[in-house]
Amino acid sequence: MAKLIGGLGTSHVPSISAALDKGLRDTPDWKPFFDGYIPGQDWVRENKPDVAVVIFNDHGNTFFLDKVPTFAVGCAEEYRPVDEGWGPRAIAPFKGAVDFSWHFIDTLVENRFDPMICQEIEVDHGLQVPMELFWGKPDAWPVKVVPIFVNVIQYPIPLPSRCYEMGRVLRRAIESYDSDERFVVVGTGGLSHQLQGARAGFVNPQADQAFLNDIAADPDRLAAMSREQYVEMFGSEGAELMMWLVMRGAMDPDVVVRHRHYFVPASMTGAGMIVLENRADAARAAAA
Amino acid sequence: MSTRPTIVLLPGLLCDASIWEAQRATLAPHAEIRIADFSQLDSIDAMARSALGLADGPLIAIGHSMGARVAMEMVRLAPGRIEKLALIDTGVDSRRDGEAEKRQILIDLAFAEGMEALAERWLPPMLHEGRVGDQALLAPLKAMVMRATPEQHHRQIKALLNRPNVRPHLEAIACPTLVMVGRQDRWSPLAQHEEMASLIPNAELVVIEDSGHMSLLEQPEQVSRALLRFLGFEKDHSGADRAALGEVKPMGDDAVPDRIPDTPLFDRKRSLQGYRINKMAMGLGNPANREAFRENESAYLDRFGLTPEEKEAVMTRNWREMVRLGGNLFFILKISAVDPVRITEIGAHQAGMEHADFLRDRLGKK
Ligand SMILES: [Fe+2]
Repeated sequence: MAKLIGGLGTSHVPSISAALDKGLRDTPDWKPFFDGYIPGQDWVRENKPDVAVVIFNDHGNTFFLDKVPTFAVGCAEEYRPVDEGWGPRAIAPFKGAVDFSWHFIDTLVENRFDPMICQEIEVDHGLQVPMELFWGKPDAWPVKVVPIFVNVIQYPIPLPSRCYEMGRVLRRAIESYDSDERFVVVGTGGLSHQLQGARAGFVNPQADQAFLNDIAADPDRLAAMSREQYVEMFGSEGAELMMWLVMRGAMDPDVVVRHRHYFVPASMTGAGMIVLENRADAARAAAA
Repeated sequence: MSTRPTIVLLPGLLCDASIWEAQRATLAPHAEIRIADFSQLDSIDAMARSALGLADGPLIAIGHSMGARVAMEMVRLAPGRIEKLALIDTGVDSRRDGEAEKRQILIDLAFAEGMEALAERWLPPMLHEGRVGDQALLAPLKAMVMRATPEQHHRQIKALLNRPNVRPHLEAIACPTLVMVGRQDRWSPLAQHEEMASLIPNAELVVIEDSGHMSLLEQPEQVSRALLRFLGFEKDHSGADRAALGEVKPMGDDAVPDRIPDTPLFDRKRSLQGYRINKMAMGLGNPANREAFRENESAYLDRFGLTPEEKEAVMTRNWREMVRLGGNLFFILKISAVDPVRITEIGAHQAGMEHADFLRDRLGKK
């Protein structure tokens, strides 16, 4: 059966890839941000996942307001970067884990999650940026992807607890998938930021640090919070943090934090990264 | 001329008028409000009779927990007088096996160690699990319990243990009924309310999100909103009421603040109002449209039927105004792909700040 080897969390601010495209990686504004990801990249290199399930939201690039799926799952052969207004970026298209995607969709529906099913779809910075942060910018991606799109823009957005539950179903799908592939689940978005209204520019480093603590140690608290509390605490766009709960729900209750990084501000955002492993696996690895 | 209806608010075990404060304030502009006091009574029947005595004529009965059981008893005693009924976080069955023993432990605790000890034992399971440490919520509840006495607790437990099984009477409730429950109510769960709503002929079910058993205090805005709508008071309430209720600001009405200050949530109203602007901006994901926008912006905007006000906001790059008109940053940001401007400048403009001040004061940049 397939194996879940880790849970990753990261921001997906578009300015990150713009900074890379413009060659700003080592400028004083960005260097500390990117350097903090080096341990995460090392972890990925050492652990060699075959499939990355990436939970993110579209930002008015792939979906317009005419049709807004609350949850959508990609089952395409390939996902190309979408033109966000600046022209499509020069990065390799992502290869889909088609067979697992369908198995996951089956498992979701059997467990009373009913996603939109997407056989042809493009992906925006919400998926691109996390992939680049952990895997760099290769000519061909060494990992296949399964995109999960969550609506966090058009209200009503889903409940945080629902995201958490979806993660548990994702775990079930991975463990019932007949394959020896190694999976990582990547929760993306946040941390605190607000782009709209007179409170634009709101960041909350203290709440961000507490989130990074609790996503490992007390995810139940984060899942029990209301949407409004997310907006209040992390800003209107910071509510995307609830997508990390899909990742966390897929992991064991007991995890170890392998790496963690926080930097503010990345553009207008409190940016963070975390690498989690199930404690049971970590203990086994240590014993071996 | 319409006469004002009378509403009787019925509190639960150990609760007094304070538990209803948010709802009282919300409903007071629309109705005469009476709040029942059950502190001296020891049967559901006596409580129902006393509540019916609080006013003459037709009543709207709104009960929470034990108070909702009283409300159902009021319907049984005086079906012609109850015009509408709201039952919140409650149940319909009589005493469960083992219930008397469990309740006795708390009765003994209150007499032996006092009401503070009782509050500490009794309150946490009443709340949403995520909020049992929330002092802002807990403090008023604890104070309320401590205003009660072990004797009152004893009397009310007696009333509860001898409560009638009202399940057989539910299908005889003819008036419009609102059945409401906190989704995370561990004491009287959602499933129980679904069943009640299915047994009462003219009932509707409302679920209060992110709330345990004490929904009146845990989520006062949601409860008030549901009551206003159910009672048909929603349409005529003033903007000030709406602000007190914490509803999201309707577009173009600057007098009513956002529920979370200066934070426009992209809800139904905004999505509808901003549809044209956002669709126009979405179009800029296409190179040919970007070219058209560059060549003749006014003509491009006209293709999407923008109003003069919307057009003006776009053409003057008035970001704050575009958002006020329902524009969502993710869409309208594409304008900055054609006519470059930094996202932090868009933020500063909305915040009404100089760019350098914005970077320093909001984002903590040196
Ligand atoms: Fe995002």
